[in-house]
Amino acid sequence: MPFPVSDLILIVPELFLTAVALGLLIYATVVSREKEGAIAWMALAALVLTGVLLFVPFSSVTSLPQIGFAGMFAVDKFSLFFKILILAAAAVTILFSLRFIGSSPYPGGEYYCLILLTTVGMLFMVSGVHLVSIYIALELMALSQYVLAGYFKQETKSIEAAAKYFVLGAFSSGVLLYGLSLVYGAARTLTLTGVAQALAASPKAPLFILGIILVACGLFFKIASAPFHVWAPDVYEGAPTPIAAFFAVGPKLAAYAIFARIFYSGFGPGSADWTVIVAASAALTMVVGNVGALMQENVKRLLGYSSIGHAGYALMGFLGYGTDFGLPALMIYLASYALMTLGAFGLVVMLETKGYAGESVDDFNGLARKNPTAAAAMLVFLLSLTGIPPTVGFIGKYYLFTSAMKAGWFWLALLGVLMSAVSLFYYFRIVRAMYLVDGEGELRWKEEPAVSAAVIACLAGTLLFGILPQPLVSWAKACLLN
Amino acid sequence: MLDSITSLDLLGADILTTLLFLPSLGALLLLAVPAEAKQAIRAMGLLFSGATLLVSAKIALRFDPATPGISGFRVDYPWMESLGIRYQLGIDGFALSLVVLTTLLTFCVLLVAAGQDLQRFKGYVVSFLILETGMLGSLVALDTILFYVFWEVMLVPMYFIIGIWGGKRRIYAAMKFFLFTLVGSLLMFIAILFLAIQHQKTTGILSFSLLDWMNAAKSNAWALTPGMEALVFGAFALAFLVKVPLWPLHTWLPDAHVEAPTGGSVILAGVLLKLGTYGLMRFALPLFPNATMKFTPLIVGLALVGVVYGAWVAAAQKDMKKLVAYSSVSHLALVVLGIFAGNAEAAAGAIYQMIGHGLTTGLLFMLVGVLYDRRHTREMADYGGVARQVPVTTTLFVIATLGSIGLPGLNGFIGEFLILAGVFKVNVVWCAIAATGMILSAIYMLTLIQKVFWGPVTQPVNNGLTDINIWEFLGAMPLVAGIVILGVYPGPVLDLLKPSITFVLEAARLHP
Amino acid sequence: MITLTHYVGLSFLLFSIGVTGVLIRRNLLTVLMSIELMLNAVNLNLIAFSRQLGDLNGHLFAIFIITVAAGEAAIGLAIIVSLYRLKGSVNLDDAAEMKG
Repeated sequence: MPFPVSDLILIVPELFLTAVALGLLIYATVVSREKEGAIAWMALAALVLTGVLLFVPFSSVTSLPQIGFAGMFAVDKFSLFFKILILAAAAVTILFSLRFIGSSPYPGGEYYCLILLTTVGMLFMVSGVHLVSIYIALELMALSQYVLAGYFKQETKSIEAAAKYFVLGAFSSGVLLYGLSLVYGAARTLTLTGVAQALAASPKAPLFILGIILVACGLFFKIASAPFHVWAPDVYEGAPTPIAAFFAVGPKLAAYAIFARIFYSGFGPGSADWTVIVAASAALTMVVGNVGALMQENVKRLLGYSSIGHAGYALMGFLGYGTDFGLPALMIYLASYALMTLGAFGLVVMLETKGYAGESVDDFNGLARKNPTAAAAMLVFLLSLTGIPPTVGFIGKYYLFTSAMKAGWFWLALLGVLMSAVSLFYYFRIVRAMYLVDGEGELRWKEEPAVSAAVIACLAGTLLFGILPQPLVSWAKACLLN
Repeated sequence: MLDSITSLDLLGADILTTLLFLPSLGALLLLAVPAEAKQAIRAMGLLFSGATLLVSAKIALRFDPATPGISGFRVDYPWMESLGIRYQLGIDGFALSLVVLTTLLTFCVLLVAAGQDLQRFKGYVVSFLILETGMLGSLVALDTILFYVFWEVMLVPMYFIIGIWGGKRRIYAAMKFFLFTLVGSLLMFIAILFLAIQHQKTTGILSFSLLDWMNAAKSNAWALTPGMEALVFGAFALAFLVKVPLWPLHTWLPDAHVEAPTGGSVILAGVLLKLGTYGLMRFALPLFPNATMKFTPLIVGLALVGVVYGAWVAAAQKDMKKLVAYSSVSHLALVVLGIFAGNAEAAAGAIYQMIGHGLTTGLLFMLVGVLYDRRHTREMADYGGVARQVPVTTTLFVIATLGSIGLPGLNGFIGEFLILAGVFKVNVVWCAIAATGMILSAIYMLTLIQKVFWGPVTQPVNNGLTDINIWEFLGAMPLVAGIVILGVYPGPVLDLLKPSITFVLEAARLHP
Repeated sequence: MITLTHYVGLSFLLFSIGVTGVLIRRNLLTVLMSIELMLNAVNLNLIAFSRQLGDLNGHLFAIFIITVAAGEAAIGLAIIVSLYRLKGSVNLDDAAEMKG
């Protein structure tokens, strides 16, 4: 498959980030433990620069969309939307990690490189329009994540999280691949556009149907939706908190993006029967996630279950396939989900001084008195996660429910609001701890400028887009798949 | 003079926007005040709620009752343009009367709070100011999504007011309040989305505006089938009836009232419950005339049960606050009855009773709070014969009680009389049952007074009881004045309400 | 004569064995091998289709999968070693500190 060298220009941002990651990996071997903080700042700068590079109009990339590498890699506005969010999530993760990793007994060099590499994987993923490029990018993302989950290698919980994540991740990759191989057999091509054409010609081919189901299952794993969600709570609890925050956002963004790409541009036009599978999973996921969260004492685990619940809501966006609401609803919701989830995790990071201390709901007791600003910020994030206006979470849910209803899935929207009411119970356990319960003993609380800055940014986004959502909405609508 | 005081309209914003966001502006500024500076916090709270009261007074003076529809001081800007959601505000006589009630009660509550020694005082004032924005927004919003936003904004401050400053079971009560209201309002949210989609599908216009929807409802241009209309009406009605609260959805109310601090109870009974009945008249009836017709027997039935049940249970209470709480269940059920009776008299009576109940029950809760602050008990048996120790409190309490039970010359009489007269025209049996509730209310309220205030002092502790202090007195006086004025001079308010009632009943095809 | 159906059938069999292995075996090494079995089933599928279609893309995909699987195995084994160091066991049931 020959391709012109000029195609390389399309992947300049990704190449740059890869180069920095590899360079930092070498630098990390020579730098002393005390000076590792510099690596974090360099990684942060690299992420920002990558973001800038995305918008540099190279001579050949003036008009979007551009497809290069023999139909493997697409630069379009859809991918740009997700790339910006992913880079932002990675940057926030690094801000969360500065002290967290700095004060831990584990070296930080590789840590930041792994974050950059997994980010590179995600960037390639959202641009993938060919089954091979999607798979390789996905594995690049996943392999780095397995290591990150087990980064605290002396902590049983962390290694346990890594083991579970690895087994289920590799298993889901296998399922996904098997589905892709069947699709290849039926479609005789690996490009998504080719798949769409072949599927339009013979929509009921058994290979296609089985392939679509398996691909859906493989992707359900990646976005942690039921019945393939079991890994998520364990991984979120066991992984280092900044990494848990990243896992809850970054990989999900990328997975939703390829989900949308595969199902909208690949499977969509030929047969929309897959909506039934998605609806079933959405319903199950909402119930499992929200009900599961009710019983959690560990905040990270609670947020893990809550993110399962949110995966269920987000799946409703796919049901709007064919209406003008589905994809924008999904994109707006994911942006809002990223803001509020990262913000909430940021406060958990601040509450932990070292390792796993300060993770239970009770550790939030009396926060409102000791640090009213932090408590207020957490309150806003929790309200947003519940979907109460005027926060961005409300806007996201507004779009999703409308999308589901426009596509005729009334019962699902109804289930969604009922589960929102259920979610109030567990989110407000944290509110109760912060405001209504008096904390005994001293509060473990470590404020630091880097985390505060990230949390403030998330807070500003949560409130601003909650009150004036138009910019976010217009941006998402300008970035649809074509 | 009024004009010069309130011409500080926010950055040249229109008067309704000023009204809405003045309290939140105060809350925002208060965040910068250190929590120890109680004097400053008190002053700020009074300043902003007072200014809001003045703005509402200015609106009331400038408002022309002849304004058709809900078009007073109309504001209309695009908000989420691509969705057809607008920042659309407007006011009519009905909303205006409740707006004034809201601003007045909030101001009075903060006056009373100024005399109390409250923990975390700053949070208390901030909560009430944000709550005020939520309440006012729900009253003047014409866009249904905007309405929903304000409706939800009310929940959080009230959750904190009950949960932080409440009694022993405050956390349970706060959660129960939040959850009941949220479930109702989420169903309403889905119904709103459904209506917008249906409206767009049939008329081609993407709009959430109540006015557009009322036009669609007039000729059923949005082609709702009877089944759909029943479901959507059900969702709206549920959200509002939970708030009212109509039997059997009332179970959160006694808990919330008993546990809430004085100010919370006053606002809860005075304004929040009325938003339920307001919502019924503003949204549920005009938008779904057919379903209204169909559900009237059911809702009237529940309301009749509520009137008697509330009164009956109230009569059995030993706790003063619970008694007043259950009396609210009974009185509000009467208001619902008035709304669904379907004629202008009953509807006028219902609205009049909404205002009147806000004043009398607000005052009752305030005075129970006065006693509670001094003795830390609400059991009637712990008092007895305290009239000599607290003559002013006693006098005010008697006025509130007489207003509440409908003594001629005070506000309650006019509202109840109009409702009963209107209901009588429709169905004599309904009227008789409702009247029973009224008689019961006289019995239990007078018993309360007798047990608490008259007779000999039964508990020696009560000999040292101190009377109402100046802040509490200042907070109570406007309510007393309102009770008396509404009782002897109902004309202007009724004139103000008349066009709104005609408007609602016409839209609901219940010809006045 | 061996036809495409035979290859796809065998691949399906291998894949099923792999899935069953992951789901019912608790020893992490066995689980890892089962996952490899699944990937090989995929490779077989791809090669068979590729051959039948006369399209090289399937071959290419299979080679990529083999490469990535090697990396995956390396990381998986590393995690298993770490787990063994801490727990003295490579049984998934022993990795049960977190539940719920």
